[in-house]
Amino acid sequence: MTDDTPTIEQPKTEDQPPRRLRRSSSDRILLGVTGGLGRYFNVDPVIFRIGFGVSVFIGGIGLLAYLLLALFVPTDGEPDFAQRVGRRLQVRGLWRGLAAIAIVLLVAAGLVVLGGASALVVAVGWGVPVGIAVIAIGALLTIVALRGGHARWLILPAVAIATGASVAAASDVDLRGGIGDREYRPLTARSIPAGGYDSGIGRLVVDLRRLDWRREPVLRLDLRLGAGQASVFVPGDVCVTGTTHVGAGESEVVGERNSGVGVDHDVGSGSTAKPRLALDASVDLGQLRVINSDTASVEGRAYGPGSFEEGTAPLRAAEARACGVG
Amino acid sequence: MRRRLKVDPVGLGAGAAMVALGVLIVLDSAGAVAIPPGWMAVALTAAVAAILLLSGLAGDDPGRQD
Repeated sequence: MTDDTPTIEQPKTEDQPPRRLRRSSSDRILLGVTGGLGRYFNVDPVIFRIGFGVSVFIGGIGLLAYLLLALFVPTDGEPDFAQRVGRRLQVRGLWRGLAAIAIVLLVAAGLVVLGGASALVVAVGWGVPVGIAVIAIGALLTIVALRGGHARWLILPAVAIATGASVAAASDVDLRGGIGDREYRPLTARSIPAGGYDSGIGRLVVDLRRLDWRREPVLRLDLRLGAGQASVFVPGDVCVTGTTHVGAGESEVVGERNSGVGVDHDVGSGSTAKPRLALDASVDLGQLRVINSDTASVEGRAYGPGSFEEGTAPLRAAEARACGVG
Repeated sequence: MRRRLKVDPVGLGAGAAMVALGVLIVLDSAGAVAIPPGWMAVALTAAVAAILLLSGLAGDDPGRQD
């Protein structure tokens, strides 16, 4: 008796090499992990790229997985740097390798902290002593090198300190004036400090809407903040003039928004209308808002519903009316 | 015969770079000069590049004593 059932010929398994996961040397953006995964599972690598990208923002576990795959999955081409590091780790032992990575990460974190601390110290007004310390470390390195010794371990900490200090010094970030949230609602011009309002880090609010502007038709206000958000509120019928400066960040001044590094704004077009606020405001790092509205909320959303342009149109119109422009 | 000291070029270059950066920090912090952030970034990059360049050119084990 014969069996007429058609049979499907099975491919000979010994002719086909077993399918192995390899990082792709041709379809790669970073280290070819997603390209290799896509080929192995026969799906578009973009799916894995999106997955890894999203996972970075969800605890970063995907980043760790990517690094491990990059280290321990070989490429389908010439061994690359990650593969050589992975092999070295395998030779030396996984735990020793992981311990070495942990030490490197700790050292890197320590250097970042050192640089940040140095920047902070400079920003609170100790720039000269920090600079002298950097000179002293440099002199020590030079002397040791000239005497034939080695103090190269000092180079990385010195570079970290110098980096933080020089960035803070050059960007003119001034964090003197304390840390925290401050709100001022002066009722008379006398209650405003002669030097204006000054704060180091935090939120600084100056609400001038309760001031009797008939008694103070022209009010001069200086305001300075190191890092954070500074907001000045004035009634809608007060003309705002003067200059504002944001070292790095954003300024929203009477309905005009600008952002970036070194954001300077000349407001009021030199108007002499009354009542008038003559403002000189500076925020080193963060946001500066000048809001000419009777109804804007100090706590919540300052502008009306809709986009910034729509919400701030009444502010621009009020400024033009109050300053007699347009 | 006197034994010649072998100068460490990496340490020497790094020391000089740190002294130069320190001077810039002191001058800027004291208000003697106002260095724009861009130029400070250039100085910082140049200092780090000089250290890396010297390190690469020296290419020896810092702990090895000949």
